[in-house]
Amino acid sequence: MKIKSAFLVTAILLFSTVSTVSAQDARITVLNPKGTPPPTPLVPMAPRPASLEGKTVYFMDIGYDGGASLLHEIMAWFTQNQPAAKLEFRAKAGAHEQEDAKLWEEIRQKADAVVIAIGH
Amino acid sequence: MEKMGKPAAGVITNRFVEVARANAKKKGMPNARLVFVPHPVSGMKPEQHRAYVVGKDPATGKQVIQEIVDALTAPLTDEDKKTGFVQTKAPSRLIGPQTPDNLQRLFHASGWTDYLPVILPTEKKVSDMLKGTSRLPEEVVGKMAGGDYEPWEYTVEQVAVNAVMAGAKPEHLPLILAIASTGISSIDSSPDSLVRAVVVNGPVREEIGMNFETGAMGPFNQANAVIGRAWTLISRNLGNAGIVGETYAGSQGNSLNYNNIVIAENEGRSPWTPLSVQKGFKAGESVISIFTGLGMHPGQGAKRAGAVLKPAYNAQISSILDTFAGHFAALIVCDPLVAKNLKEAGFDTKEKLSQWLQLNTKMAVADYKESRFAALYDAPLAKKGVQPYAGWFKLPATARIPRFASAESIEIVVTGGETLAVFQAGNLKYMTSAAVDKWR
Repeated sequence: MKIKSAFLVTAILLFSTVSTVSAQDARITVLNPKGTPPPTPLVPMAPRPASLEGKTVYFMDIGYDGGASLLHEIMAWFTQNQPAAKLEFRAKAGAHEQEDAKLWEEIRQKADAVVIAIGH
Repeated sequence: MEKMGKPAAGVITNRFVEVARANAKKKGMPNARLVFVPHPVSGMKPEQHRAYVVGKDPATGKQVIQEIVDALTAPLTDEDKKTGFVQTKAPSRLIGPQTPDNLQRLFHASGWTDYLPVILPTEKKVSDMLKGTSRLPEEVVGKMAGGDYEPWEYTVEQVAVNAVMAGAKPEHLPLILAIASTGISSIDSSPDSLVRAVVVNGPVREEIGMNFETGAMGPFNQANAVIGRAWTLISRNLGNAGIVGETYAGSQGNSLNYNNIVIAENEGRSPWTPLSVQKGFKAGESVISIFTGLGMHPGQGAKRAGAVLKPAYNAQISSILDTFAGHFAALIVCDPLVAKNLKEAGFDTKEKLSQWLQLNTKMAVADYKESRFAALYDAPLAKKGVQPYAGWFKLPATARIPRFASAESIEIVVTGGETLAVFQAGNLKYMTSAAVDKWR
């Protein structure tokens, strides 16, 4: 009886080992879980002036901590080193991710270039 | 700005070099002129900012101010002027044949998992999953982006693949599709390490065996667990969210992003109207509602929590809310025992409790002005004269103003097994709701 039981356990173990090895080695095909990014339209960049002399440069803060102070220091450098550039500081209205249509229109009409600081 | 024909220079801290460049590429300007200064600029003195301006860009080694001038004046290259589309080749629908171990390794290495083992989405398993909905596999479910980039579009089959990976069953699929249909990623790109919650109402809770009794918000139920996990895998794989260094900047991360906060409301034991009905759905409709925010706070830590005297739960809840970020929102999750206590105390509707909490949770103007949310969202409105923000910003520092802008920003749901009168409060804001039944 004991011999019979031992044989049975050994057989089950052997069978399960063979099955496990077989399952691990079996090759399967699966579906790819990753999506595809949408086509990205390329945005041609705006033509650059040869210099900022006589140009109006807007300095725009979007509201994150430290951005306004950094912009003021950049403006201070321009005042000292490129005095022929006209400088305008603006804090964008609304939360950082929101458009500011009024400012956008002002920039469209009056700015020749824009420096945007994102604090943090 | 460039689209408007204005030369632009973006000045960003160097902690965000990869994210900024990746985002510029996704916006169609791979050569956007970005300048980096040392991180952080927040909390620094003007003289430190001055040093950054004349110092070197840590990403390029060039002088910051010269880079800004060059960004605005250096002639465009042919690459800068390019138009057309950048088309990414769709990945192969099938992967393999390969051994399961190798596929698990591939899925982890490709960033397609939450780094826990997944159920491999064989054609048979996905086909079985699709039996959970009458919708066609190729039908578009929605679009999703975890940050400021063009959202990715996905189909029923793609959602089903990720549902299989999460361990979901076919009967869970309509609810998972409803979540996916909102297009809201469970992982936000914000450095704040935001979390998301989903509240489930209606018959679907019982049909798929969700837990809304003892241990409702814990790891004690398959439906609750896999629905939340599927949302995270969908967000990573179909919305491209949560890719560290590219679409994710959470400074510390949040373990709730593994399977999110899943709350099935205990409608049978609640004395109040279900959230879905508050949001305009009919009683008996199955609905999911999504929240976003900073996380959950345990009510056991509230002032007077566990007091021998008959508890005044409204006061306990307000003491927890006093620790919340001002001018955001709250989701109060009451055990049915707390809800019944509050009803007996006169709060016979959720709305009455929200109104009481809004009136009785205040903050000092000094704290308000220093709060991140007030600085980001309210200060620009105050500057434009929008009330009540403009008035609040003019008050003395010691004056007290409401911590929550409106009673509607305080939502209440009920779940739990009534083993103890407890509550939790999430610093979470309601986003949207979606019907489950149309995805059956």
